[in-house]
Amino acid sequence: MEEQEEATGVEIDERRVVGDEDVLRFMDSADGYLTLLDSLSSTLRQGWLDLAIARHSMGASRINGAILDHKLHSAATSVQVDQEDVDSLEGQPRFILHKWASVGDGKQCYEEQEWKEDKLLGKSGSLQLRHRGDSQLYEEKPFENGAELDVDDQVQKERAKSLSMFGTLVSPKLRAAQLSFETALEMLVEIANMRSAMLSSFDKVHKELDHQKG
Amino acid sequence: MANRAQIRTNNSALISMIADEDTIVGLLMAGVGNVDLRRKTNYLIVDSKTTVKQVEDAFKEFTTREDIAIVLISQYVANMIRFLVDSYNKPVPAILEIPSKDHPYDPTQDSVLSRVKYLFSSESVASGRR
Repeated sequence: MEEQEEATGVEIDERRVVGDEDVLRFMDSADGYLTLLDSLSSTLRQGWLDLAIARHSMGASRINGAILDHKLHSAATSVQVDQEDVDSLEGQPRFILHKWASVGDGKQCYEEQEWKEDKLLGKSGSLQLRHRGDSQLYEEKPFENGAELDVDDQVQKERAKSLSMFGTLVSPKLRAAQLSFETALEMLVEIANMRSAMLSSFDKVHKELDHQKG
Repeated sequence: MANRAQIRTNNSALISMIADEDTIVGLLMAGVGNVDLRRKTNYLIVDSKTTVKQVEDAFKEFTTREDIAIVLISQYVANMIRFLVDSYNKPVPAILEIPSKDHPYDPTQDSVLSRVKYLFSSESVASGRR
């Protein structure tokens, strides 16, 4: 009898520990979500400011929605969607940003470059290489200067192509705005991941509460 | 396994946008713009002439397209179709409410935070365990 009571007590304690972990995960992800949104606001504000200055120097007729390219073209920056925690009953999506990863012939060149870099590294994973502009990543591979420069060239070409709809010569502030919005994109993908973590942990806590009430 | 929620995985999905002109132009400079064979874009510029119906249609289209992973929507635009945004509950595409130039982000209006704020109310985990 005492053993049964002890076993039941252990189960309750385990469930409470699991519930506490989920609550902490939920609180952490909610806090991360709000913090990232605050950072996003600052980054977007900088981007809007740079865009306004560029518009002032280049003219409103050169920077507006009417000149946007409506010809057939694929997005150069895309998102990969994976399922995190494959063994879990509830699927949680994971978003990975691929900046300047593919455009027609550019994609072929970029992928070939990627293969060369992978060969140099002796790795099969290539996801990290697609996150350009990451200074930490750049510092980790100092011995691949040749390959890095080629990839950087490709990225710069893609950036220039993206700005080409505004004309051949563009204001430096427009380039600065482009970088701000690129940073904003990275934050948005982090926010998307934080959102899915928050909703996933919320569902678990909610179920735990329902179980306790039941 | 039968109850497992399947996530629609995709190696190269798009980010769609329903926002003001400056936000769209800025994000397009970052390379997210896509125009397909039917000249359909992955964005909608919202201005003073845009109707609620147009916003609704764009939201419904972007949330049902298989090639879109994230839908960015300015929060003031989301408020125009709040019922539709709040009733959306799929994991993919993820709906993110973002600030705009003239309308800063307000967490009290955020659809996701509204959904989870129940945990911060008097019926919280702590009170459930008393």
